Parts: sequence; structure tokens; C-alpha cells
Amino acid sequence: MSPLRERAAVSYVLAAPGGLWMLVALVAPTLFIAWVSFWASRTFALSNALTLANYVKFFTRPAYVRVLGDTVEQAIVMMLITGVIGYSIAYFLVVHVRRPAFQLALFLLLVVPFWTSALIRTIAWIPFLGVNGVINQALLLLGIVDRPVEAFLFTRTGITLAQTSFYTLLATGPVVYTLRNIPRSLPEAAQCLHATPLRVFWRIVFPLTLPGVVIGQILVFLNVMADFATAQAIGGHKLAFLGNLVILLYESGQLTFAAVVGVLLMIAMLLGVAVLLKVVDIRRLGAP
Amino acid sequence: MIPWRVRQRLVAATLGTVVGLFLLYQWLPLLIMAVLSFTGPEGGTTFPMRGVSLHWYGELFRVQMIDDFKPPMARSVALALACSITTATLSVAAAQAMRARFRGSGVYFYLILLGVMAPGLLVGFGVALLARMFGLGLAWYSSTFAVHIVWTLPFGFLTMLAVFNRFDRRLEEAALTLRATRWTTFWRITFPLVLPGVIGAGLFGFTLSYDEFARSLFATGPEQTLPLVIYAQFDRQLQPTLYAIGTMTTIVSLGAVTVFALLFRLVKRRNRI
Amino acid sequence: MADRPDLELIGVTKRFGAFTAVRDVSLAVEHGQFVCLLGPSGCGKTTTLRMIAGLEEVDAGEIRIAGVRVNERPPWQRDIAMMFQDFALFPHMTVARQVAFGLEMLRRPAAEIRRRVAETLGAFDIAAFADRKPDTLSGGQKQRVALARALITEPRILLLDEPIGSLDFSLREAVMLELRDVQRRLGISFVWVTHDQNEAFSLGDRVVVMTHARIEQVGTPEDIAERPRTRFVATFVQGTNVFDGTVERAEGDHVRVRTATGSFVVPARDGRPPDPGEAVSFSVRAALVTAQPGGEHVNQVGAVCHAVEYLGAIRRYDFRLVDGRSLKLEEFTGRGRRIAEGEAITLGWRVEDGVLHAPAEAPA
Repeated sequence: MSPLRERAAVSYVLAAPGGLWMLVALVAPTLFIAWVSFWASRTFALSNALTLANYVKFFTRPAYVRVLGDTVEQAIVMMLITGVIGYSIAYFLVVHVRRPAFQLALFLLLVVPFWTSALIRTIAWIPFLGVNGVINQALLLLGIVDRPVEAFLFTRTGITLAQTSFYTLLATGPVVYTLRNIPRSLPEAAQCLHATPLRVFWRIVFPLTLPGVVIGQILVFLNVMADFATAQAIGGHKLAFLGNLVILLYESGQLTFAAVVGVLLMIAMLLGVAVLLKVVDIRRLGAP
Repeated sequence: MIPWRVRQRLVAATLGTVVGLFLLYQWLPLLIMAVLSFTGPEGGTTFPMRGVSLHWYGELFRVQMIDDFKPPMARSVALALACSITTATLSVAAAQAMRARFRGSGVYFYLILLGVMAPGLLVGFGVALLARMFGLGLAWYSSTFAVHIVWTLPFGFLTMLAVFNRFDRRLEEAALTLRATRWTTFWRITFPLVLPGVIGAGLFGFTLSYDEFARSLFATGPEQTLPLVIYAQFDRQLQPTLYAIGTMTTIVSLGAVTVFALLFRLVKRRNRI
Repeated sequence: MADRPDLELIGVTKRFGAFTAVRDVSLAVEHGQFVCLLGPSGCGKTTTLRMIAGLEEVDAGEIRIAGVRVNERPPWQRDIAMMFQDFALFPHMTVARQVAFGLEMLRRPAAEIRRRVAETLGAFDIAAFADRKPDTLSGGQKQRVALARALITEPRILLLDEPIGSLDFSLREAVMLELRDVQRRLGISFVWVTHDQNEAFSLGDRVVVMTHARIEQVGTPEDIAERPRTRFVATFVQGTNVFDGTVERAEGDHVRVRTATGSFVVPARDGRPPDPGEAVSFSVRAALVTAQPGGEHVNQVGAVCHAVEYLGAIRRYDFRLVDGRSLKLEEFTGRGRRIAEGEAITLGWRVEDGVLHAPAEAPA
């Protein structure tokens, strides 16, 4: 056994700060939200009686349930869109771009906007989508429409357009990683076994990138579910997802009810991730 | 040309077009925002531009009671620096601990990773509820700092795990056989070799914290960070000042990335010699 | 067209940018032949194989399979199969799926696929792990799976790229013999790429030696080992001594060559005898050099024993000549005494055991 293995005690000391930080600033607050969501009283006291009434209230109000449905629906739509575009980008980057210099340039061009603030990028979308926005001006100029289209700002379409730009690369990154790990000899071997390019893709390449696809889908799912700023900036107050609902309730002082929505949001996210993780084992990705 | 080669080129061209359009899609809003931030004093938030001026940048630097963005920006930078250092330190410690595969390291891995999965808004919400429960005040340097680390630590941690994964253990064992203590071995052998990864972890700490607003939203007291000030503008009449702020902070974060990248290259080059 | 060779390369050339990987290579493989492409890494042998498979485009020349030009055909429409150095087993498929893959791609009926997969799994002795994934198999098992997968479609030609290079040394001998048996039994043409001359010599009906993008010599293993055509082939083949020198004069069918260590007589090559003063090289096999030269050993040279290796059936000596060059000698261990290291001795060989090399070709 390697002498480096005897350091278990040291390991605990090293691991403690990060672990404690997560427990205090993440786990405890999250559990506290769950507890608050069961409080029977609006007053803030640990002695509050617990009840399920808050949850009953949520599910008996169609407006709230619709927000839940909208949020999940938006997440699924975004997963589909970013899945297709994200995979195409990854495939082009890894398979079709051979020159390293070109590869690096493309990589930087893709990643640099991704590194800039999500808020700023949200703002940047506003002049695009409005009635007098760039898209409408371009459409008018090209003669595709004769009146400005109002379908962009304050609509789901607008949110989807903006979110596509924000989240597509989340679906690209993990696929790039898995694609790169496929030895060139595998698709070549399939070709020599009489597989056409399309069948090479569906029988060999795609199954081998599936872990990357799923990781990307998890990232997109989590981000869209938790997104409220895009809806706020582009949807105005006409559209809300669960995050917006939490803010709305918080600002109007309904803390227990905000907690209920928060808990439901977390449950929805956990369920989604659990379903996606059925397909792959995330821990195998880090290994060399 | 050979027909199947033509088909192959066609696929490449189609995918290339998708990538090109997507790049346009990524860059155009940012570029248009930058261009519009130079509109004249009469200009609005969309085309056509009314002249070219630095008016809206000047507006930013004029001291106003409500909308002065300089203190929030200073806070954001200070917070980001603190997060950068803390993330780097905690990541190295946590990842180094993971190498020994201590009992419970599996659970520990997921505990740290939870920071990425948990919706930011709710983490801040929970901290705000807890603070209220215990009658504690919220501030950017305490509660906001705490929730930012929850967000940045997993990225630094994963970076360091990947670095240690590729690290050649035999180098340390060689040092140990040469009678170096564990402490000396870590600082003389291990640390210099993983330094590029540490810088990467620090970079994650900086940029992720600098741009973060979902976690800050509920967890920050009256003294707000820059993203929160910007976020508050969403509900008001949009003004080109916002574009000016956006352009400026984009330049700050790109600057940070560049600085870290240069640092990274410097260290890499030094290690090679 | 049963009379056409299974495979013909006619003036095939491949360039990667400014680098020419394969230059004007011509070769024919008759039906059922076992051909080895032998050469150092980077000599163009793998690129040649990949062009035959269709994985690389041909820049000039023509490739024919069974007499039909296939330059324009993609890999999946060529009557070939290929075995890769790393075996290229699909990590997400079980052994049975893996073996069935080729037939599925040819859209054979399900019943036929089932039957032939079962037969093939049995024939290659891999039925026991039909349901396992490749990462649970040993190197030797992977190799058999790869072979079964390649041969189930009954290709005309099997291309093998260093197929035993990634196996344990102890396994190689057995696998080589097994592959040789399979090839004989099925009567399929094999084109086997290797950098290992032992593989090439023990397996190949014909060996093609390549270097610097071109073919140096094509022949039986005996041709290559005993009559190296060029200086490169002589240096590449183990157990061969190479001498460089200039022609002193032609002596009938022989040539006298002056080297730094003496003047030696070598049979002239067919065709034009070299002119006096011309730079030439010749070689002598280590096994044909003797430490007890008699009258018939016209070529003699003084040497000092530098090192002795005992290899079981033979002893291999490394002598140093007066100019410091090395001269190898191999002899059966049963015969004669062991020469001590440091001992000075006279070595000799017969005129007819020298092989004069063809002049080096200037790169086109």
C-alpha cells in the first residue's frame, strides 16, 4: 500500500472547511426552507405548528399550477432546442474542424460571450426583441413583414430565443468532451463493416456520446428551471416561472408560501435530474 | 468529385453554417449593445442611433444619489477577489483530501457538487430566512460572500480533482524517498505542478462571483452589488446607461479572463523549464 | 474474374499537404496470398493499407479489387474487412452484437444473422463471453472478437494494421500461428502491416519492404533476408552486415570493392556492372561469416571480439574491425569453441555470400 494512503486524519482536516461551508450555507438554509413551507402561521417563530395546508393551497389554485407546468414545459423545450443545436456545434468542432488554430479561434469565439454576465446578455437581448427592435427592423427591411411583429418581447418566444443563446453551450461542452474521447478507429471500423455514415453515427458515435448529452441536458434543465431573470427582463410581468413566483411572494411578504413554491421547484429539479441520471453515471466522466 | 465525398462536405457545410449562425446569434446582441451605448444624449435604447457620444458613460460617472454604480462595482470586485482566493484555497484542500479516498468521500463529493445543482435563488432565500430567524443582518461581505462560495467552490473543486487525476503520484513518492516530509513535498513538488489548476479555480471564483445575482438577490443587505443594481433596472424605463454599464462590466470580466490566462501561461512556461 | 488478382495497386500516391506519405506504389496480391507490408514507422505502410480500405483518398494511381477500380468507392462498399491495432471494438456493444454488426449493416435477414453469429462465435471460441462487453475481455480474447467481427461478412481481403502489436509478448507467437491457420483455411487474402520482421518473415507468403513512402523490395522472406536488393533492406533485416566502399574494378562476374577495412570481392548484380570509382554497398549475413576461414573464404578481415551473446541454438558475436565498425557473426552453439572477448581473430566469407546492392534511387 502506498505511504500516501495513511493520511486519513489529515484528509478530514483538509475536507472540513469546504464541507462545513456547504452544510452551513447550503444544506441548512435549504432544509430550513422546507421546514418553513409547513408552517401553519405567518408569524416567524420556530414554535409554529406544521401543516400541509400551504401545499393544498398551491395545488388548488390553477394559476399557480399553470406556472409549475409552464416552467417544466419551458425546460423541456429548451432541452430539445439546445440539445440539437448544441450537439451540432460540438460535432462540427470535434469532427470537422481539423486545423488546431481554427479550432482554438472557434472555441474562443464561442466561449467568450458565454463568460460574460448573464444579466448583461439578457439586457443585450432587449433592443433585439422589441417592436422597434433589431429583429423587427431587419424583417421590415428585408420585406418579410410589413408590420412590426409583437411576438418577441413579452412572449415565451422571446424568452426561448434569449435562453437559446444563453444555454446552448451548456449542452455543447460535455458532448465535445465525450466526442473527443472516441478513438478515430471506432467509426472507421464501423465503415469497414459496411456501415454508411448515417448508421455509423446512430449506431456508434451517438451512443458513445450519450453520457455527454445527458450531462448537458441536466445542466440546461437545472438552469432553465431556476431561471427567473430572463422571464423578468424579456417577459416583463406578463410571464412568470416558479422563480419569479418565489420573488413575487417574497416581496409581498408571503414567506411561507414562497417557501412552498421553492420546495416544489427543488422537488421538480431533483426528479428531473434523477430521471436523466438513470441513463448515465456522472462519476465516470472525471476519470482519465 | 466522388459523390459520397460531396455528401460529406455537404454535411460539414451545413453544420458549419449552424455554427456560424449561432456565433452571430451570440455576438450580435453584445455588439449591438456596445454600439448603442455610444448613442447621443437624445438617443434611445434601440436603433436608429442619434449621433455618437460618450454621454451615457459620462452619465455613469456623474455622482447621483440613487444610481451611482461605482460603490456597487467596488463591492463586486472586492467580493469577487475574496471569492477567488477562498475558492482556490478550499478547492485545493478539498481535492487534496479526496485523493486519500477517506471514508465518506463519496458523500462529500456530492455535498460539494450540490452547490451547482441547487437553484441560486433558493439558496439566497434560505439564507435570508435563516438570518431573519436568528435576527442576523444581511450584508454583501458576510451572507452574500457565503452563498457565492457555495456556487464557486464546486467549480474550483472539480477543476482541482481533474488536475489531481492527471497528476503523477510517483513524483511525490520520489520526493518522499528523498527524505522530504509530506509538508515539504506538498509545497515543493505538488503545489507548483498543480498551480495552473489553482489559478483556474481562482478564475472560476472571480468571474462566477462577479456576475452572480440569483444568489445575491435575497441574501444581500441594503448595500448592493453591481449585478443587483443592474437587475433592479429591469423594472424601470430602459436607458442607454444600462448598455454603458453592460459594455463596461463585460470589458472588466474579459479583462479578468485575460489576466488569469496570462498568469496561467506564465506558470506553465516556468514549470516547463 | 477469378483470374484477376484480389488486389492491385498501380502507381498509388498519397500526399498530406507538402508531405508525400506514399509515392508511386505498385503491388499485386494474388487470391489467397498472405502479404506483409514491412517497414519502420512513418514509411507509408499504414497509409497504403488505409487507402486500400478506402479510409484515405488516393491522390494518384489506381486501386483495384478483383480487377475493378475502387478509388471512388467508400469503405462500406468495398469487399474488404479491417483489423485495427487497438482492435477498435465498440465499447457499448456485447461481443455477440459486435460480431453481428457487419451482417446487420449488409441487411441480412435476422434468422441468417442469428445462425451465422452463433457459428462464428463457436468457430472463434468466443461463445462463452458472447454477452460481455469488450472492457471485460483480455487482450487475446479481444483479438479473437475483432477477427470474428471482421471475417463474418466473408470479405475478399482482410487488412490487418499491426494486429498483434498491442498483445502481450507471450501471446504473440500463438496468435500469429492461429491467424495463419485461419487465413489458410478460409483462403482469404491477408494484407498485414507490421514493423516487426519476425512477424513478416514467419507469416508472409510475400514480404513488401517499404521506406520513405516507397517500396524497396518485394519478395519471399528468403529473398528479402538473403538477397536484400538495397542498402536499406540490408540494414533493416537483422543479422546482416553492411559494407560501404567504392568499386576498384570489375573482375568478370565479380566486382572488387574497396572499403575502409579492406578490399572484398562480391558477385556483380544482373545487368550493368558498376563502373570503377562508383560508390556501392554490399552485405553479408552474419550466419555466413566464419571464424575459421579456409581457402574458399576469399574475403578475410582481421577483427577483435567485442561481445558474445548466447541465444540458445546460436551464439552471436559482435566483432570490431580496425576502423571501429561492428561485424556480426552467428554460429551454432554445438560447433567450435567460444571465442573470448578481446581475442583478435581473422574472419572470412565466401565470394558468393556477398550481396551487392542496387544503387539508391534519387527521390523523384
